[in-house]
Amino acid sequence: MIRIKGLIKKFGRVTALRGLDMTVPAGTIYAFVGQNGAGKTTTLRILAALLPPDGGTVEVAGYNAVKNPRAVRELVGYMPDFFGVYDDLRVGEYLLFYAAAYGIRGPEAARRRDNLLELVGLGEKREDFVDTLSRGMQQRLCLARALVHDPPVLLLDEPASGLDPLARVELRKILRELGRTGKTIVISSHILPELADFCNYVGMITEGRMVYEGPLTQMIAAVQVQQIVLRVAGEQTPALKVIEAWPNAAVVKLTDEQVELRLAGGEAEAAALLKELVQAGAAVTHFARTEQTLEDAFVQIASEVK
Amino acid sequence: MVLSESWKNFREGLADGLLPLLGKEIRGRSRSWRFPLLLSIYLALLSGGILTFLWLNRQVSQFFLQTGLLLYGLFACGLVLLLAFIAAAVAATAISGERERRTYDLLLVTAASPAGIILGKWLSSVVYLLLLVVAALPLLAVVYLFGGVPLVTLGKALLLSLFAGLGYGAVGLAYSAVLKRSQAAIIFSLVTVFALIFGTLIIAGIVATSQRQPGPVPPPPPGKERAWYIYLSPLSALPDILPQNGVPVPIAGELINISRHLTAGAAGVYYEEPPSGMPATWPAWVRFTVYQSLLTLISLFIAALAVNPLPPWRKRQLLRGTKEPPPKKD
Repeated sequence: MIRIKGLIKKFGRVTALRGLDMTVPAGTIYAFVGQNGAGKTTTLRILAALLPPDGGTVEVAGYNAVKNPRAVRELVGYMPDFFGVYDDLRVGEYLLFYAAAYGIRGPEAARRRDNLLELVGLGEKREDFVDTLSRGMQQRLCLARALVHDPPVLLLDEPASGLDPLARVELRKILRELGRTGKTIVISSHILPELADFCNYVGMITEGRMVYEGPLTQMIAAVQVQQIVLRVAGEQTPALKVIEAWPNAAVVKLTDEQVELRLAGGEAEAAALLKELVQAGAAVTHFARTEQTLEDAFVQIASEVK
Repeated sequence: MVLSESWKNFREGLADGLLPLLGKEIRGRSRSWRFPLLLSIYLALLSGGILTFLWLNRQVSQFFLQTGLLLYGLFACGLVLLLAFIAAAVAATAISGERERRTYDLLLVTAASPAGIILGKWLSSVVYLLLLVVAALPLLAVVYLFGGVPLVTLGKALLLSLFAGLGYGAVGLAYSAVLKRSQAAIIFSLVTVFALIFGTLIIAGIVATSQRQPGPVPPPPPGKERAWYIYLSPLSALPDILPQNGVPVPIAGELINISRHLTAGAAGVYYEEPPSGMPATWPAWVRFTVYQSLLTLISLFIAALAVNPLPPWRKRQLLRGTKEPPPKKD
């Protein structure tokens, strides 16, 4: 659905994107992750035809964003990280205004307004002025705005930023619902655990380059780092000696009760370490591997890139 | 085929910007406290001018007809100047205000074309100006109490003030699109409008003074006329719609005579070739409206280019740089 090749963008002397490649298959919920300043927002703005690239090609559903920006805009619903609202409009009027700006008027516009307000849970707020809504409600209204022309692609730039936990849960619920409708959704965020909840594809950007792209499960599996919590009865010294001597292991946290360590490699590596610990005379009472998260994967890939 | 597709895109983009923005702006302005406040100040200034004039001329009832003419002259001057500055200041926040409110990207990402957005913003200020003109009509009716002003002259005054507002409003819009901050856009717009209204005449006056020989002002040489740029100022067109004879009324009469002298006298001694394509017989008010229309078109064009995320020259540049197969639809 989205294909970016060799994307370059410069702002004066600063190069924001250095030959970024990105492919978003149709129907996926794509987590676009990266540190602050990595180039996520710039990429999304170029995808929304709001910013011209300095090099490379950007295509949405086969339409080139430079050659045919109008077609791209009609295919894309964009929600920026920071946005304002027209404080002199009511919630319903706000959506009707944007519907008209996409060429949708009359009863069809009214129908979409009502459906979208129901979807984002603002049906009862239709006659309220937009500036009286809370930040979370404005965020949901902006999402409804991005959906008003029923685009097959949604670009959401940090959609949960500035929201309280409850509002985040509500937003996640709506996004999951949208994912079920078959839309291609690209979500940029730095709050990784949130994305891992409902995204099925991931792209990781560092310093303007894509450093990893693929299905989320593959990525986590590919990152062979595991966190292990180890408890021993009595002396910890034999266990610590084994860990220190083990080439792929490193102690992360040490307390009187337990040792937390990071171990590169898969299940076999963990089994081998456990065997060595027992053979070295450590009275192991607890040996547990914690599940890999998107955050762990991100940290490891980012450190490998560095 | 390609041409008809482009025309369709242009038409749709224009409609998608113009219609919703026009509706939103009118609705928004009618709800805002700023509009009634501005309208009140505007009417207070016009009414204040008229009342001051009547108070100053309370002794000259024998010049009843001239008083009516002068009152009309004062009113026309005030209307033109007020609308010129109000239109520029109001339009100067149209695009930069969207940037400051962070609604600019949300607007650009729609199917509305840059031309549609600019025209929508400009036409909403046109409606706003029309409202101001209509709101001034009851005051203009006071002139009729004294009589002596033909309806055509009155119409010309309204047309002149409307054209002044439209042109300078477009200038304000262009600044608003080019500059990021509303404050800067307002300052630049007002300075430009001031320069166009008064600066052009002052320059013409300086040039005329430097060229003037001692003795009486000579008639224009054949084939020559006044400097073209004085028609960028609505003051150059005012003598066409003001009372023609000198008037023995204190202060107000002097004001109008100074205006006439400034436009027809001082500037009138500086002659040059008439602008190509413009008949020398065209009256000043027609020339002003023609120049104002050109100023409007140029300003709107600049504004539309400034809001376009991908201006045509950049698009050409980028497409030249990318060698790729033609786009295919999914």
